Amino acid sequence: MIEALDYLREFTYPAVLLRLTLAMFFGGAMGMEGTRKGRAAGLRTYMLVCLGSALTVLLGQYEVEMMQSVWIPAGLEDPAKIDVTRFSAQVINGIGFLGAGTILVTQRQQVKGVTTAAGLWVSACVGLAVGAGFYECVVLAFLLVLVVVKLLPGVEDLIIENLRNMNLFVEYDKLEHTGLIVNRIRMLGAQIYEIEIDRDSIRDGKHPSAVFTLRLKRKMSHAHVLAHISSLECITSIEEI
Amino acid sequence: MLSIFESLRTLNMLSLAVRMCLSVVCGGIIGLERTYRRRPAGLRTHMLICLGACLTTMTNQFLCLYLHYYTDMARIGAQVIAGIGFIGAGTIIVTRHQRVKGLTTAAGLWACAIVGLALGAGFLEGGLTLTFLVMIAELLFTRVERMALRNSLELNLYLRYDDSAAMTRVLNFLKIHQIKLISLEITRPHEDEAHKATAIFLLRLNKQLHQAEFVRQLGEIEGVSSVDVLSC
Repeated sequence: MIEALDYLREFTYPAVLLRLTLAMFFGGAMGMEGTRKGRAAGLRTYMLVCLGSALTVLLGQYEVEMMQSVWIPAGLEDPAKIDVTRFSAQVINGIGFLGAGTILVTQRQQVKGVTTAAGLWVSACVGLAVGAGFYECVVLAFLLVLVVVKLLPGVEDLIIENLRNMNLFVEYDKLEHTGLIVNRIRMLGAQIYEIEIDRDSIRDGKHPSAVFTLRLKRKMSHAHVLAHISSLECITSIEEI
Repeated sequence: MLSIFESLRTLNMLSLAVRMCLSVVCGGIIGLERTYRRRPAGLRTHMLICLGACLTTMTNQFLCLYLHYYTDMARIGAQVIAGIGFIGAGTIIVTRHQRVKGLTTAAGLWACAIVGLALGAGFLEGGLTLTFLVMIAELLFTRVERMALRNSLELNLYLRYDDSAAMTRVLNFLKIHQIKLISLEITRPHEDEAHKATAIFLLRLNKQLHQAEFVRQLGEIEGVSSVDVLSC
């Protein structure tokens, strides 16, 4: 550990102020990417979470300090126990709940918002480290989070774009039209691995829907496939999942 | 720690009153901004939660320091942190367009509970500083966030068009401008409905391309009847 920072690890008001400000800064910087992408959790959400969790650690430290300096001399014979991490340990729980609220399952059986939940949770953990004055760890963790959040989506997109496997959700008028869609997909030169037809929706009086798992020809753009299939008259809705 | 708060560190009638009043005031300050923006959890919600959190840490101190029970100083207060996480999760809603809303309200409510805990414990420096910083986050950074959103590279578009030829033209337009298509959802009319086919695009724009200009050009493509930017 860097000993020059030890002064800032003591529990004094300037150190408290510094830690809270740092928590605000780091939280904001981690949330900026969410804002830029129009996610549900942005700059302010991350900031609030990071600030709050930093204060929980400080609060634990405060109670320990007070126990040693003010409260025990003030007539506490049998010293009550105190755990510095009692408050902050609950942050991990609490933000887990909060994150769970951002996760949603779409009608097409896709799960969304898990990355947002995980991002919020990490920012709470960074807030805990800032609050404890663990500066070295915070800086490193912050840099790693930025690498994951900023650089990896590009890599992920690149992989998905060049994937030859594609999942299509299609909703269409009548069950008899399945053959038409299959023909249309064959025209593109794509192989069909699997067709999953949802019969329940017909019983409910809705349109039939199916999920097609395709293997495309090399260098075929996914958008082109969508546009080509959607020109069929019988299709009411189409989406890649 | 600041010496002006020294007399409020132990439990007595004065510190009791100061801590509780401050928690109501600080909760109100944080909640005021939410009320002002017509969000679900407003002034009173924040006040109540801040006061409640303040009571938990104070009660725990009372049990330890006044009644001399052997217990953990932080046990009751700590549960607030997880508990308000629950309440916060309830304020989060999923709209019909599969967007999540109310997350900032949830996070603000949670931060507000922590202000209450700190004030109740007599850690007035911490509670007041956090209130101040939360205010900055809510007032100043809302503007920063809005600015960043305006320059956002990802764009959600709702497009109405006539036929598949128009769709092909749109896709070609995107290809010419080197705009990446992240996802596409097409919905076509049912026979008994008169409206045209619609598509929802999620795009990643170039840095050089101006968003408003791009939307305008897209609307001028033959066969495209309307283009709307979906807000997040």
